[in-house]
Amino acid sequence: MGHLSQQTLAIININIRSIKNRLGLSISTIFSVALVVGVLLCFLAMSKGFEKTLEGSGSEDVAVILRSGSMSELNSVITLEQARIIESGPGIRQWQGKPMISKESYIVVDAIKKSSNTPANIPLRGIDKMGEIIRENISIVKGKMFTPGTNEIVVGQALLNNFKGFGLNSQVKLGNATWEVVGIFSSPGTVFESELWADINVVQSFFKRSGIFQTIRVKMKKPADVKKLDEYSKNDPRLKLDTKSEKDFYLEQANASSDLIFYLGWPLSILMSIGSLAGAINTMYNSVVSRTREIITLRVIGFNATATFFGTIIESLFLTSIGATIGVSCAYLLFDGLTTSTLSGNFTQVVFSFKMTFKLFIKAIYLSLGIGIVGGLMPALRAARMPLVKINSF
Amino acid sequence: MTIFYLVKKNLLSHKIRSFLLVLCIFVAFIVYGVLKSFEQAMHSGIELSGTNRLVTVNRINFTQPLPYAYYNRVANIEGIKNVTFAKWFGGYYQEPKNFLTTFAVEPSSWLNVFKEFIVKPEEKRAFLKDKKGVLVGRNIANKHHWSIGDNVPISSNIYSNKKGGHTWDFTVRAIYDGEKEQTDTNQVIIHYEYFNLSKTFGKDFIGWLVVLTKDANLNEVIAKRIDSLFNNSAYETRTATESAFNKAFIEQIGNISLIIQSVVSVAFLTILMVVGNTMYLAVGERTKELAVLKTIGFNNRLIFNMIMSESLLLTVAGGIPAIICAYGIINALNLVVGGFLPGLLMPMNVVFTSILWMILLSVLTGIFPAYNAVKLNIITALHKNQ
Repeated sequence: MGHLSQQTLAIININIRSIKNRLGLSISTIFSVALVVGVLLCFLAMSKGFEKTLEGSGSEDVAVILRSGSMSELNSVITLEQARIIESGPGIRQWQGKPMISKESYIVVDAIKKSSNTPANIPLRGIDKMGEIIRENISIVKGKMFTPGTNEIVVGQALLNNFKGFGLNSQVKLGNATWEVVGIFSSPGTVFESELWADINVVQSFFKRSGIFQTIRVKMKKPADVKKLDEYSKNDPRLKLDTKSEKDFYLEQANASSDLIFYLGWPLSILMSIGSLAGAINTMYNSVVSRTREIITLRVIGFNATATFFGTIIESLFLTSIGATIGVSCAYLLFDGLTTSTLSGNFTQVVFSFKMTFKLFIKAIYLSLGIGIVGGLMPALRAARMPLVKINSF
Repeated sequence: MTIFYLVKKNLLSHKIRSFLLVLCIFVAFIVYGVLKSFEQAMHSGIELSGTNRLVTVNRINFTQPLPYAYYNRVANIEGIKNVTFAKWFGGYYQEPKNFLTTFAVEPSSWLNVFKEFIVKPEEKRAFLKDKKGVLVGRNIANKHHWSIGDNVPISSNIYSNKKGGHTWDFTVRAIYDGEKEQTDTNQVIIHYEYFNLSKTFGKDFIGWLVVLTKDANLNEVIAKRIDSLFNNSAYETRTATESAFNKAFIEQIGNISLIIQSVVSVAFLTILMVVGNTMYLAVGERTKELAVLKTIGFNNRLIFNMIMSESLLLTVAGGIPAIICAYGIINALNLVVGGFLPGLLMPMNVVFTSILWMILLSVLTGIFPAYNAVKLNIITALHKNQ
């Protein structure tokens, strides 16, 4: 075996050093693989980034309550009476003697998206003190929290960066009311950073929605209590509400959109891999054919057919690996952390960042190795089976 | 012996190589055909929008309501031919996942403004007469097997009715066809009056107005007139052309054109490199052969044409079947996602631009080898060892 591996190494060495004789084709293979890998990673990172943002937004021990069948916060309507009934539900955590229940309104307003300069839907969430306490990872990074009862708003950091006109101390006109931005809040990697927050009572009165809420968020003692609250609500005919954990609520929204990107990205990448594969096979055939004389000579002086086979396969893998490395590095440099926004299941913009993970790199590398092996296979077989008599024809 | 005979012999002498190049080109043109059709379907709302149609929405956002009274106030503005309005119903059939694009409208003005909805006169009369009647697009009627006279329950994910449920009962009175193939026939149109009287909240509010101006040149002036009419009121408005409105909505999803453009460029760049290099190499291999052809009297023009024909033939052999396949894929996708993406079909201009791309790519991949072959010096070429 030692003999064989030495032979293989020698042939690999020859093959790789002779790549410069086929530079044009070899480079085109490298680039086509790099491009396929780049496209795949771009789609996967987009899908992953969106999924992460929505996944990161939900807590397991917070119940989100919407009107039954409404599917999104925008469509939901909950009355004050219904909210009161929920307050006496089971398993609700207390804070300074009060149940941790946040009655929230959710209103869609326009903001100009920086990237396109067109108006886009962003959410204005009306909350009270409890809404802030229930969300644990929120911090004011600039300015202060809004003062209840005033037309002050605080702006999520991601929203500030991607939409025009929400700088600290700026005036924001929504309808015929003017709001003042008094603070910027951060909640890394969540959808809340794409929101505007203001006092619930002020929002309700400005938008003529007194006594009407869109969602109720309830902090439970433990995650399992979400189910208890759901049963409690299902047993009361006055309620007709859907209760689920905040985590599940955002997961459902994440799945719909990120699946779409995912199912678009894979078929496209596979299709393009076929093109790249054709290029790789072509290059490797060329490599084998142009070295016919050399391969036969090697065989005549005692090199094994298996060694010539592996020599070609490894050369093919070598080219596609370079391609994959270029593709992965460029995709990482170009796309990782790139922020963009899209319309989410809640019918408002969610700002998210492309997320490159190690797992995604591995997927891309598998794809490129696949192209390398399949691309080298038939040419390698031809190299191994080359009839020795053919040398006479030279 | 024609050039074509030589071209055929050359391509067939390396069957695997030619096949691989054709495959490579085939893949790139499938990507092109499918993605471009997709892009155009996404933008069909912009292209199909009426040149003299304006949309008036609440200045805060189009999901915010406008008072019903605005309908009559706007109708009196000078320069307006017609006005109608709509309210989003949030409709679905039986289960929330079967969503229906449902609008509650004033039917007679709606059909006057949206002339691309073709309805049979007798069905139109029946629909206008029956307040509980519904007008549905051909696509939706086919999908749910609805026909004239069927009673269909349509639910709302927003509103509840006085009976205490979210489901309203309607009778299919008319089915509309689109004027063009791309026209959205997935819509469900109900009577605002019936909906307004039976819902439990949000009474006497509408979603948005659609205005038909007498002349597209007046669009800007009229948009300003409408908005200034409601300036400083509790419900300020924002009026834009229907196409600008649709464009802004597409932009909300993301810069789809940029994504599609990038992927298509990547696909074309790949074939340009692979095919270009291979052609270069293939012609290089034939140096001696070309020198012989020149010696026996083939002039430069014939040689040039021969090599250009080779690359054109390769591109067409991959490109044309690819466009046919892409056509099949788009039609298959239309069955699956037609409800979300009306107008998903392969437009003629995609076919034309594909052909232009084929010509361009074959020129780019053929020109350098052809040029090399032409400037080949017979003496040096014949002396070459290989």
